[in-house]
Amino acid sequence: MSKTKKVVVVSDAFLLSAGVENLVLELSGMLVDHVFNGSERKLCEKIISKKPEFVIIDPKSVSDKLLPMLRELDEEKDIKIIGLISQGLSQNIISKFSYTLNIQDNKFQLVEALQKIVGNRDQEIIGNEQLLSKRETEILRELALGLTNQEVADKLFLSVHTVMTHRKKITRKLGIKTVSGLTVYALMNNLVDIREVERQV
Amino acid sequence: MLLEKEMKLADVIHHDYNLIPVINRFGIMLGFGDSSIENICQEKQINQDFFLTILNAFHDPQYLDKDSQQNFSATLLIDYLQQTHNYYLQNKIPEIECLINEMETKAEVDKASYDILRKFFEEYKTELIKHIEREEKRVYPYVIELEKAVINNTIPPSLLSRIKEYSITSYEDEHESVEEKLKDLKNIIIKYLPPSEKQQSRYKLLKELTVLEKDLNDHANIEDLILVPKVELLEKHVTGK
Repeated sequence: MSKTKKVVVVSDAFLLSAGVENLVLELSGMLVDHVFNGSERKLCEKIISKKPEFVIIDPKSVSDKLLPMLRELDEEKDIKIIGLISQGLSQNIISKFSYTLNIQDNKFQLVEALQKIVGNRDQEIIGNEQLLSKRETEILRELALGLTNQEVADKLFLSVHTVMTHRKKITRKLGIKTVSGLTVYALMNNLVDIREVERQV
Repeated sequence: MLLEKEMKLADVIHHDYNLIPVINRFGIMLGFGDSSIENICQEKQINQDFFLTILNAFHDPQYLDKDSQQNFSATLLIDYLQQTHNYYLQNKIPEIECLINEMETKAEVDKASYDILRKFFEEYKTELIKHIEREEKRVYPYVIELEKAVINNTIPPSLLSRIKEYSITSYEDEHESVEEKLKDLKNIIIKYLPPSEKQQSRYKLLKELTVLEKDLNDHANIEDLILVPKVELLEKHVTGK
């Protein structure tokens, strides 16, 4: 699993921020870390200290402080700023945001829009999902037969650290963590033979 | 939603049917009409605060984050936890075993896969039983003795030395490996058990495993977030620290 992406919301309206939190949860690997009120003092400082990947701002909640705030946040290269567009907002303000979400949109439009802004997540995992490398298969086989990390390392002339790294990758790809679970997987996929396993037990 | 004593139990169950096994553990049978939680507790002589705590904890795990001073004894809580254990061992586990057997008998191909699955579940069961026995033989009697000592205000020296050598804080989270196995089992069924035409018992099995998983999680939460803090208080009281 990839690292969770942090989102910070700036909004005074509870219903709006609750809605944004819900929307963010629709995308896996993202969560709202904090909701700030637009009128809070030292708002930019507080936002930046949270080290978020995304800041979602309701421009109405910051009113006249919006422009200096956007200027300050723009300095932070790692933060993407998303504006919430609602009725009656001037074109001038809308144009200040590089990314926007329209609060009048329906759920699927919003999810799609946010997904586009966030970018294609986990591409690397989706690409070679499930497919174990040759080395990983080899290690899985030994683990399924009941060998410990140390024993696998000795047998395959690897360091324990390497074996553990491979093991983490195997678990991530298969979604199976326990040794017995790995054994079941190996058996079902004919990576090991039931008699081999029983001999070990 | 916070569940409160004025609510009709029927409405609560409509709202969250996961609570059915919970009310069952309190000896409440369906068919309670329009009675409120308060009335049912009076009628059945159930400690209302305790019942509401458990209902809320199962309904919304976040409920346990707020620290409220609960008005019930550790012994009552342990009695409940033990009933939950019985429910797992006498109802849930046999039900699941039955489903796995059913799948195995019905299967025309890949019989070996089901056999592997059954063995894996047996291993899980052994581990779960071991875990439950440890709690019932070591942890629970200790807590009951501790509470008795506080109520009677007489502390046997044996208890004092026991606190020193084994306090509840060392009741470290052992649930983990049991939990992981259950997760693996679900993943194996969803992703890796060879597909077959006969899907019905597989769906049923998956549903039962999911229900069991949620129940075990809530159970563990109640132990970690209600039992452990309660016992820590008792320990402090006894050692006078």
